[in-house]
Amino acid sequence: MVSQTPTSAAPLKSGYNKSMEETPTQALSEALVEVAEQRDRNAFSVLFKYFAPKIKRFGIKQYGSEAMAMELVQDTMTSVWRKAHLYNKDKGAATTWVYTVMRNASFDALRKIKSKKEDHISEDIWPTLQESYTSDDGFNDHLQDKQIQKYISCLPIAQQEVVKGVYFQEMSQEQLAEQLNIPVGTVKSRLRLALQKLRAEMGDSHD
Amino acid sequence: MIKHHPTLEMLEQFSQGALPASLSVAISAHVEMCPCCAKKVAAYELENSNMVFDDGFTGELDMDFDQMMSSITADSSADVAKAYEPEVIEYHNAKAIVPRAIASVTRSNFSHVGKLSRARLELDDGDARASLLQIAPGGEIPNHTHTGFELTLLLDGSFEDESGSYVAGDFIWLDGRHSHTPKTKDGCLCFTLVNSALHFNKGLSKLLNPIGNLIY
Repeated sequence: MVSQTPTSAAPLKSGYNKSMEETPTQALSEALVEVAEQRDRNAFSVLFKYFAPKIKRFGIKQYGSEAMAMELVQDTMTSVWRKAHLYNKDKGAATTWVYTVMRNASFDALRKIKSKKEDHISEDIWPTLQESYTSDDGFNDHLQDKQIQKYISCLPIAQQEVVKGVYFQEMSQEQLAEQLNIPVGTVKSRLRLALQKLRAEMGDSHD
Repeated sequence: MIKHHPTLEMLEQFSQGALPASLSVAISAHVEMCPCCAKKVAAYELENSNMVFDDGFTGELDMDFDQMMSSITADSSADVAKAYEPEVIEYHNAKAIVPRAIASVTRSNFSHVGKLSRARLELDDGDARASLLQIAPGGEIPNHTHTGFELTLLLDGSFEDESGSYVAGDFIWLDGRHSHTPKTKDGCLCFTLVNSALHFNKGLSKLLNPIGNLIY
């Protein structure tokens, strides 16, 4: 089950061999994109046939209960159908994305049993599933904005004002100086300081 | 530079969703602040998905599956991604972003004991108690050991103890083998997680032992 060909002793830890012949990686990714873009039921059935039995097998191993395993299939595949647009094929394989969907569903299900809580905190513990899976389209620009706003909100108020004026309200530095009733030179120096700080902060968490 | 990280074993279990909720929240918060641990988690997710999905196994598709598939696709609407606005917390004249996983959990108001302010997170996760802790500039927690474990994730500011100084993002895991006296010069904001009371070691601070539960 692990591998067709006898390989070295511990194939799972490092360099787990993904056999391209067995896993229709490309086809699964395309199907997921079609589900997202066209709500295509045939594409979904491709995904369903591939993943549902494997999720069921995983669930039985995990919980020792067929009923719970089927619930995991239901929860995971429902999320795949409803959240497919959050998948970005440039960021990774469909199998990895579906795994994270399943892991989250399983986490919430176990929490429901242990703590009687139905708070679905997995969405906040692993937020990559929600948003950062998209990139370089208009939708994501909006998210970059959010990311940047988060850093901006930590700047001193005076610097926040100039950054917001110039980048969000698209005012000229002169207009802004007039509105804030400060010299243009001050606008420039505040902006420079703010950008330095933003660059340092964002560089820190983006490399 | 973040110097203290969760162990690889913790990161792996985190990637599998196998840790308790309170610890998962803590590791998620660290991962949000630490790009190298984020990379490791992504690598584990890839590895996990290969183990679960990338083999020749093809199960039977029986009646149940057919029914399930058509009931799922009966509704063709999609989920809108949850809008998220980062929470900024103000404390002792400083501002800090609260990592998403921590911000998402309901918490009590801050209650103040000397230079400490604590807000409890309502996670209902067995005997684990998670809190946000603010320590005012010059604040110190008397020398103590831990009857269970004590996890401190420094979110903002800095503090030091007998083993050195810590910066935002540091994930500091201590248990009964360690005793320490954390203090902060300029104040700090931490996420803390403990599963039993702190035990104070010296002089007057021993008086705190009966209320060790309340402080962290």
